[in-house]
Amino acid sequence: MPRISLGSWAESAVDWLQSHLSWLFDAVNTVLTGMYDGVNAVLGAPDALLMAGILAVVAWWLRGLLAGALAFAGLALVDSFGLWDEAMATLSLVLVASLITLVLAVPLGIWAARNRRVSRVLRPVLDVMQTMPAFVYLIPGVMFFSIGPIPGLIATIVFSMPPGVRMTELGIRQVDGELVEAARAFGTTPRDTLVRVQLPLALPTIMAGVNQVIMLALSMVVIAGMAGAGGLGESVYAAVTQVNIGGGVESGLAVVVLAMYLDRMTGALGRRVSPSGRRAAAKDAASARASASAAFLRYRPGTAVATVGIVVLALVAGGMHLTRGGDDRQAVAAGKNAGHGKKVRLGYFPWDEAVATTYLWQNVLEDRGYEPDVKQLDPGPLYTALAQGQMDLQFDSWLPTTHKQYMDRYGDKLSDLGSWYGPTSLELTVPSYVKGIDSLADLKGKGAQFGGKIVGIESSAGMMGTLNDKVLKEYGLDGEYKVVSSSTSTMLAELDRAVKKKEPVVTTLWSPHWAYAKHDLKKLKDPKGAWGKGEEIHAVGKKDFAADFPKVAQWVKDFRMSEKDLASLEAEIQSGGKGKEKDSARRWLDAHPGFADKLAPVGA
Amino acid sequence: MSRLKAEHLYKVFGRRPEAAVRRLADGADRDELRADGTTAAVIDASFEVEAGQIFVVMGLSGSGKSTLLRMLNGLLDPTAGRVLYDGRDLTALSPRELRDVRSRNISMVFQHFALFPHRSVLENAAYGLEVRGVPRAEREERAAEALELAGLKGWEKSWPDELSGGMQQRVGLARALATDADLLLMDESFSALDPLIRRDMQDQLLDLQKRLKKTIVFITHDLNEAMRLGDRIAVMRDGRIVQNGTAEDILVRPANDYVASFIQDVDRSRVLTAGSIMTGSAAPAAGLPDDATTVSADTPVAELFSPFARSGEPVAVTGEDGELTGVVTRDGLLAALGDQPQVAQGAAPRATDPEPEVTAHA
Repeated sequence: MPRISLGSWAESAVDWLQSHLSWLFDAVNTVLTGMYDGVNAVLGAPDALLMAGILAVVAWWLRGLLAGALAFAGLALVDSFGLWDEAMATLSLVLVASLITLVLAVPLGIWAARNRRVSRVLRPVLDVMQTMPAFVYLIPGVMFFSIGPIPGLIATIVFSMPPGVRMTELGIRQVDGELVEAARAFGTTPRDTLVRVQLPLALPTIMAGVNQVIMLALSMVVIAGMAGAGGLGESVYAAVTQVNIGGGVESGLAVVVLAMYLDRMTGALGRRVSPSGRRAAAKDAASARASASAAFLRYRPGTAVATVGIVVLALVAGGMHLTRGGDDRQAVAAGKNAGHGKKVRLGYFPWDEAVATTYLWQNVLEDRGYEPDVKQLDPGPLYTALAQGQMDLQFDSWLPTTHKQYMDRYGDKLSDLGSWYGPTSLELTVPSYVKGIDSLADLKGKGAQFGGKIVGIESSAGMMGTLNDKVLKEYGLDGEYKVVSSSTSTMLAELDRAVKKKEPVVTTLWSPHWAYAKHDLKKLKDPKGAWGKGEEIHAVGKKDFAADFPKVAQWVKDFRMSEKDLASLEAEIQSGGKGKEKDSARRWLDAHPGFADKLAPVGA
Repeated sequence: MSRLKAEHLYKVFGRRPEAAVRRLADGADRDELRADGTTAAVIDASFEVEAGQIFVVMGLSGSGKSTLLRMLNGLLDPTAGRVLYDGRDLTALSPRELRDVRSRNISMVFQHFALFPHRSVLENAAYGLEVRGVPRAEREERAAEALELAGLKGWEKSWPDELSGGMQQRVGLARALATDADLLLMDESFSALDPLIRRDMQDQLLDLQKRLKKTIVFITHDLNEAMRLGDRIAVMRDGRIVQNGTAEDILVRPANDYVASFIQDVDRSRVLTAGSIMTGSAAPAAGLPDDATTVSADTPVAELFSPFARSGEPVAVTGEDGELTGVVTRDGLLAALGDQPQVAQGAAPRATDPEPEVTAHA
């Protein structure tokens, strides 16, 4: 069987699209960004509790007092987690994605219902859209549309489209053929048959499709968060990658609150817009009136009353917005304003030293009058974004080995701003209580003790490749051990679990890492040098970083950090908790007077 | 001129239908075509329906009767042949013209009622007028009148699923009547109803027909229903019309064994009339008592039972002016009811003549 190089064709296709149709992608990007920003501005503008009030009134109107009260409680909970802005960003993303999806899916579904050939062509396409793992098109999405909400939006649209199309088609096909025939027999035009008979009768099914679209859109936000979509997805992703259980639960719960709200509301809306649903509701209301118990719970404001309520709350929100005014950004010390409000886009993937240095520099750059924008991404998207010039700087390039693949691919589109830490090391690690294993060579023959498994991290990580291709072979371990790829957080959680139960475990790890401070661990010696030499951690910018930010480029080139400083900074951030990284870094800077001036000297 | 005329209608489903029509016209039968994957639903159907007449098409399921009906209003496009409505060829109309004919001249009543569940009874009845663009007030008034005709006054605001089957079909009937279409196509319209209701509906249809004088093509698989309603009856089998005549023609002179076997279970006493079983007036007066019961020629035979039960004397059949036209004797009555019908010699079996002359014009 010859190798069919479909993959490389896809790559050339992406390259070609990128170089020839960039105007189109830019246009799409502009339109979508505009929609997203608009919706987000509206949803994010009012005070959290006022907005929760507005959403609660909608729930009251659609479902009743109990639903309204529960909605308010759930949304207030989200606010108390400090996730309100993220929740609104996610809600905006979901609403925009669902709207676009429906605008495309319903007509497609109608078309498919009326034309068997279209239906046949569409079916495999929808299968691909529904089952192709989202990461596969998320990365090209980043290449076309840069990081931010748009690749996530596109991925969401792609993923949530199939049920919209399918349910519309199904709904229309389900309409009794005799009814359609009756419509025709009385001289109805095909268009009117659709509008007067097929769509009204298909509406419950179509609304079930709408509900599915919205739910699937919401389920995509976490994945979208990896491409920089922001919102709850980013919070979940960041929490999970930093083994921040509490933060993960909170942001996960916020997603659940949104999901339940949207699910119940679209369900109720479906009953409200479909004629048969309206009838059923009228009957329920009649029987409810008959049994008067707890009637106030079932009281629902009429549409007019609900509208008035929403408008009043919105006006209050607007008024508060006006009176509050002002900008609370801290003033930049005179004479130190080198940035004059210039935006710097800092990207990091959730490795501890990356988090530490990025937030350190965010504080320092703010002090120097820049407006640093910090975003968490996966390494792949981050390097892509840097190469595309959609990101300015990141601090955590492990060179020459770990991130070799990215430098090989994008090296000529990036600028290396030099090493700020080194040498690092990669290693396999066992807890100290595992006796008799001190070096990689000692692992041979002990596979059974560890269940034949080495707990790895993300399969995309460079060290995973080195481990599989080189280290295991060198020490003759490749038949005996299987490297389980998971994620850094899973690896750390597994290490944690094993240490607590004193079970033997061997994991991939690297120095510097705070795990060495938390647990009593042994780095396995590498007498054959299979891991390669220690690496240096570099800061890497986009190609013309030095031209765009000459001062910052110089500061970063001169940036050095000792293991002691880095460890204490990481510890500070680790103890500060998720969502407080910036404040923790600020505290650390305050405790190290003069450090900022050393990092970013101005004047003189 | 007849109101509705079907000329050599064919409907073939499947590939290369025109070729199939040529083969059928050359004498191929349905089974030969089925082997090639084409289905001949209707084969060479011709008939005429006079204004004000109820024309019943009777056949078992699969005989092609519903397909035939749907070609009359263009819901199905005939593979060959023409449909003439008031002399206008419906098969030659553009889709727009055809829709116009459907909304003004031809309406339809369906087997399973086909009411729109998302519309009230009144909105259902007004549907045809709504499609035609009649203003709301006028169409609701006319729909309400049609509902009253159908015996549903007071149910306008109800929803279809709140009504019984019979009432739902009355809505279907009202919907068809509301457009003032002259031609009503009724597709097994009473078959889904239980027998008592069905009988009620038949009575009501006959009653309405007396007043409204619509032209009706009525499809059924129930021979008793056909006999009861039909001014003329066409019997279909395997896509062909095998006999076309009055109820009496079919009962007394079945065209072939198929029709004959069909009519075995018919209550002959309700279909045969005094006129059809009387002996001629050549030698009647003899033996006829002076106080003999007199009946007219179209009296159903069933109504002769009681006079015979009383006296056993012959019954006189008189014409419109009271003149004697014939006599029914007790023996004659019993013979007529007991006899199995004889296949009429005039109608040749299909095997020898692919185009039997079944279009006995009324």
